[in-house]
Amino acid sequence: MNRSNLLYNVIAIVILALVLFMFWNFAASTSYVEGKITSGGVVIDTLSTIYGYLYGMIPICCVLILFSLAVAFYLEEWLSHRSWQYRIIERIIAIFACIPSLVYGLFCAYFIVVKSQQISYLTLTIAVFFIVVPVTIRTTQQVIQKVDLSVREAAYALGAKRMRVIADHVIPNTFPMILTGIFTTISRVLAIAALFIVICGWKITESNSKHSFDIPNNAIVLLSSALLFSVISCLFEKKKSL
Amino acid sequence: METNNFSIETENLSLWYGDFQALMDVSVKIPDGKITGLIGPSGCGKTTLLRCFNRVNERYGNVTTKGEIKILGKNIYDSDVSLLELRKTVGMVFQRPNPLPISVYDNILFGLRIHSQFRSLTRTQSDEIVEEALTSVFLWDDLKDKLKTRATSLQLEQQQKLCIARLLPLKPKIILMDEPCSALDAKGTLAVEELMSVLAGTYTFLIVTHNMAQARRISDECIYMFLGELIEHRETQALFETPEHPKTADYVQMRYG
Ligand SMILES: Nc1ncnc2c1ncn2[C@@H]1O[C@H](COP(=O)(O)OP(=O)(O)OP(=O)(O)O)[C@@H](O)[C@H]1O
Ligand SMILES: [Mg+2]
Repeated sequence: MNRSNLLYNVIAIVILALVLFMFWNFAASTSYVEGKITSGGVVIDTLSTIYGYLYGMIPICCVLILFSLAVAFYLEEWLSHRSWQYRIIERIIAIFACIPSLVYGLFCAYFIVVKSQQISYLTLTIAVFFIVVPVTIRTTQQVIQKVDLSVREAAYALGAKRMRVIADHVIPNTFPMILTGIFTTISRVLAIAALFIVICGWKITESNSKHSFDIPNNAIVLLSSALLFSVISCLFEKKKSL
Repeated sequence: METNNFSIETENLSLWYGDFQALMDVSVKIPDGKITGLIGPSGCGKTTLLRCFNRVNERYGNVTTKGEIKILGKNIYDSDVSLLELRKTVGMVFQRPNPLPISVYDNILFGLRIHSQFRSLTRTQSDEIVEEALTSVFLWDDLKDKLKTRATSLQLEQQQKLCIARLLPLKPKIILMDEPCSALDAKGTLAVEELMSVLAGTYTFLIVTHNMAQARRISDECIYMFLGELIEHRETQALFETPEHPKTADYVQMRYG
């Protein structure tokens, strides 16, 4: 990796850390009240319950992103593009990746907030899975496909093993672009979280007149971070074309 | 043909991509230490044949091969053949110069680092290897102060020579070249050709080319392929001047008369 790549990565990581820090402060400042625990999860009756869960989703998101990267590398580097496994997985991912994250988000909000009024990590994870995994796999795959095939062949022809080629050639060349994909994904998740907060806030306010929430203010923090991540990812895309 | 020594021998070699047959019963003997040209219209299977010889074809999942390939007298599909050793013996140069996106120095050592315990190389040893490899491709004078630059930032001609140079530390016996000059200008082409004729003798070259003049200039023997079949294999001059097969005559004259 050359110096300018490194610079971009460092900048990206610093920004990421800042945003997370901002969030964390915001979370700490909202008073945290646990909802009533029932068999299906936790009843949503305050917004801070939801925030608690959303922060809890951060490590889960990281795991899902890593999982998607692994799947993408497996598909591109290990499976033959002509095998039926590849084609089937490719097709399924394509279908799920085409659906806008808004759709998943609204479904999730409908079932959790409106229908059951209960929240649990399981339901959130399912929703985030569909928002994160297909798109991340898709973008990562496309990035890997752009890697100069002939260089890869040259490495194989010199006798290199697969892991060697991935470590010495594919990852160094794709890292900035993969980061772009991850940033886009994070931005999508944040936007959906904002939507979620709005719907929850509205529901809670409606059912419980004691609580009234400053919904716009809550949502705008998430939305502007989503925007920030999108902008960063665009910058990367501009600077790092293969 | 004066010698009976062949680097590559194939016997009824057929190859399918899925159910498309790309090579049909190809039997060919490539002599040691000479430059053999491989010509034929686009899509006739030249690249496919070349790629059989170091088994890079296998990376595509749907390839079926039938028949026998012997490299230096050893069947490369025997179970005791190591792919690593095979690819060390049979080097490959591609159409577009494709150095790895690392420094010139590391490019030359890339192969060695895969094949030997690279820790065993001392700094002086690696320096010597790099100098020797670059000297044999006439790049040392140009690049001795640029060993740390990214190989992909060199001129195309230098890149292609570097791609040849990075094979040499592995001491290959055979070097396969797939249209090695098609991305180079006239000067670069001549430089690579000159390099090949200097290195021929030490190495056996098999070169695919679309350039009839080039095939005539540099090859000792020439193979004409058409739609997956080997049509004619003779000494270059004979093949161009008195082709035996009407298809060869058509091809050679279309481009040349
Ligand atoms: N990976 C592959 N899968 C399926 N078919 C292939 C594959 N590679 C090549 N082919 C087909 O095999 C035939 C021979 O291809 P090959 O690349 O060997 O031709 P070539 O003589 O090198 O052509 P060119 O002069 O254009 O490089 C072509 O019809 C091509 O479409
Ligand atoms: Mg070809």
